[in-house]
Amino acid sequence: MDHHDKPLQCPYTNNGCPAIAEIKQLKQECERLRKLSQHDPLTGLFNFNHLMNTLETEMERTRRTGLSTGFIMIDLDHFKRLNDTFGHEEGNKALKWFSDILRNNLRRIDIPCRYGGEEFAIILPGIRLSQAVQAAERLRAGLKDSPIQLNDKTINISASFGVDTYASTEDISVEAFIKRADSLLFQAKSKGRNRVCYDKQKITVVPTEVTTEEKDLLFSLRYRDRLS
Amino acid sequence: MNKKRPITISITSGKGGVGKTSIAVNLAYALMNQGHRVLLVDGDLGLANVDILLGISAQTTIRTVLDGEADPLDAVLYLKPGLGILPASSGVPEMVSLGIDQQEKLTTLLSDITSHFDYVLVDTAAGIGSSVLWLNHFASYNIVILTPDPTSLTDAYAIIKTIFTQFDRTLFYIVLNLIREPKEGQKAYETLKKVANQFLNLELEYLGAIPEDKSVKEAVRQQTPFIQKALRCPATRAIMLVAERIKNLRAD
Repeated sequence: MDHHDKPLQCPYTNNGCPAIAEIKQLKQECERLRKLSQHDPLTGLFNFNHLMNTLETEMERTRRTGLSTGFIMIDLDHFKRLNDTFGHEEGNKALKWFSDILRNNLRRIDIPCRYGGEEFAIILPGIRLSQAVQAAERLRAGLKDSPIQLNDKTINISASFGVDTYASTEDISVEAFIKRADSLLFQAKSKGRNRVCYDKQKITVVPTEVTTEEKDLLFSLRYRDRLS
Repeated sequence: MNKKRPITISITSGKGGVGKTSIAVNLAYALMNQGHRVLLVDGDLGLANVDILLGISAQTTIRTVLDGEADPLDAVLYLKPGLGILPASSGVPEMVSLGIDQQEKLTTLLSDITSHFDYVLVDTAAGIGSSVLWLNHFASYNIVILTPDPTSLTDAYAIIKTIFTQFDRTLFYIVLNLIREPKEGQKAYETLKKVANQFLNLELEYLGAIPEDKSVKEAVRQQTPFIQKALRCPATRAIMLVAERIKNLRAD
């Protein structure tokens, strides 16, 4: 048993040991600070610091296991305009609303983070690019299905997504990986927002299936030739 | 330096064992014999073939260049003044699926080298892996090789359909190989064309058919292109005809 799990016990008295009380308080403070250092206070998502540390770890895991790490960068569309129209308080409400959508639409092992401002990032351990793209599309659909009330007005907020994966054979830094996903996000925004951009060439192409009708015609024509 | 862009042609089949590499090698020689500067790229990046057919052994390959261990121009092996080979490496499975970084590097590598040539023939790997598709995408023209067997026809159709759906290519060039009687090639081609027309609404163009020929097998064993060895054999004449038709293609 981990000694941290044992309730603290004073060897001399069962009641009102000041040292124990102090230690308990320090422990709580440690826990609060740990959360504070890893989380974004507004949204409750992980913060930039934790994102960088975790991405580093997950990329190392990819190199060890061969399973690629997915990464999605997200930008809420026209957020500045929304802030200007409805005020910062409502803007913050929108950020919280979006964080809930993130939490509700991801796998339990995924790590949603607030990257800064209206930018978000998700680390998806052990995922293929096609699956990561699906996850992003699911979030995009989730936004569409859940309009938000701001100052008694019901509005729809969309987002732009850049999706990439890190493969075990790649020799790039955390920063370079983020930059790559960020440029895909930039692509999504410059193509008119509210879309998911990824590197299409990177998705393993499933050969286009030849249908039964096509096969039948190929075979029947070919056998007719052979018989004639 | 010549600024003219070369004509890049991929040679592909969907399935292996239809004589893709043999046709690529002999076409390269045919075009070279007519005074063109030809680069033959072994696009079977993980399982090189061209070197075996030609009896050469390459130290510098596409792989070593991509790894940054060799200068691109040093990787080209000149068999004749007008015929360069860009060899692949053997037994490197990860090269079969090209990552985006490698694709970018390969594009730079190929465009650095190819400006020195009139024709670039890319012999792709068998199958429909990402490197095969990428090389077909890279090339301006796609030649699909098939034999008259119904299964080979289906495989050829499958790769045509895949390249068409992936990259919007609407014109493919067809070469039949290992035909047993003169009309067999044309007939198999007509079948493929009809189905491609009807289901995909795309154009095929016939470049010719190479007959089954004893001297081809012998040439492979001797690691010499048959076109250099058996000057009057039917396969040689057929290859020359295909080369003539290739000369009608224009750089885009």
